[in-house]
Amino acid sequence: MRQLCKGNVAIVKGAILAGCRSYFGYPITPASEIAETAALLLPQVDGTFLQAESEVAAINMVYGAAAAGARVMTASSGPGLSLMQEGISYCAGSELPCVIVDIVRGGPGLGNIAPEQSDYFAMVKGGGHGCYRNFVLAPASVQEMADLTILAFDLADEYRNPVIILADGFIGQMMEPLDLTFREAKLPDKPWAVMGTAGTRKNLISSIFLEPDDLENHIRKLEAKYIRASRLEARHETFETADAEVLLVGYGITARVLRSAVEMARREGLKAGLFRPITLWPFPKEALRAAASKVSKILVVELSNGQMVEDVRLSLDGKVPVEFYGRTGGNVPSVEEVHSQLMQRVMQMV
Amino acid sequence: MAVPARGNILIDTEECKGCGLCVESCPPECLELLPELNAYGVHPAHYTGAGCTGCGICFYCCPEPGAITVYRLAPPTKPLVHGDAEDKVQGESHAAAL
Repeated sequence: MRQLCKGNVAIVKGAILAGCRSYFGYPITPASEIAETAALLLPQVDGTFLQAESEVAAINMVYGAAAAGARVMTASSGPGLSLMQEGISYCAGSELPCVIVDIVRGGPGLGNIAPEQSDYFAMVKGGGHGCYRNFVLAPASVQEMADLTILAFDLADEYRNPVIILADGFIGQMMEPLDLTFREAKLPDKPWAVMGTAGTRKNLISSIFLEPDDLENHIRKLEAKYIRASRLEARHETFETADAEVLLVGYGITARVLRSAVEMARREGLKAGLFRPITLWPFPKEALRAAASKVSKILVVELSNGQMVEDVRLSLDGKVPVEFYGRTGGNVPSVEEVHSQLMQRVMQMV
Repeated sequence: MAVPARGNILIDTEECKGCGLCVESCPPECLELLPELNAYGVHPAHYTGAGCTGCGICFYCCPEPGAITVYRLAPPTKPLVHGDAEDKVQGESHAAAL
């Protein structure tokens, strides 16, 4: 069904289509519509919505529901995600599948309620303690808010790992057409879960391994999972990269601005291309290297002072000069602004 | 004769975080930020009291669920008597709360 939908609402609709029937959370601008919509829709599909007393409580309720085998999610914004980091580390350590949505707002501290992309380090590099990774998906449209949420539940169950949807306040708040097709969610068997039945009574969900060798074996097992995911699950999108001489790289709402900047540059005769990572972890290194193989310069644009740009530089290992342009505080660069930045840097090359 | 109001806006000033999205998006430009501060210490949005068409765009763009309620006013049930339109409440505000 085609409908006009807000990004935050689309996340809940995607989650319900994915078979999620449990939501635990605490409202925060600009993610509040996710809690509001979950409170409205989940009871209609025999699900559970519970407003926790804090984000710390919410993530631990997510831990419990995931341990019981449920498809479960929570959502918040920067300050709430900071509180949840401990619980996310526990979920990763206990190999619990769950989906966590971060509708990024301005920071640090309380910051403001306008869009930023400044939680990249906290989510992609794993802001909690220990050797673990989060899958991180970066939607760039309302449609992707729903589609990537469905993918997030599948990845979470397949790899038994937390999956983060990293969207900014812009995509969470904007309205666009959304096309959803009803489908029966295929829920995988979870023989490891603790379901309160005789058969699952022997199962143990824990992240504590007091013997050093036991813990190292556990971490090796996690690492093998992350290596497999890095090989198989990196996703990206390219636009006009086949003959590009300069490459713009950005994710989320920024990629939408960059796409228009590519079109503007091409109208003026500069062969620009766009590379948009869809998964921020695993980062699409191979694809970026391929897209950048023939370009003479890369411009990374983010709503931060430069976070993903580090992964771009690591992926390319100095083979292509990488420049950065960022806006913060809730400001989103205009197409003309990016275009002028691009032209200035191209002029420097000559 | 003044044009009858087609909508009304109620703003919970204590829920408002003063982002100004409603002010920027309002087609008839009938919203403003108050000079006073609310309990959060921000300038809350305020309906100037005239010009609302009930379009609801401010409701949709507001990131605070519950902060803005838009009412579409029912059209007058009988022809207005010339002269008293300005003082009359235009029908019941039954409430197509969006």
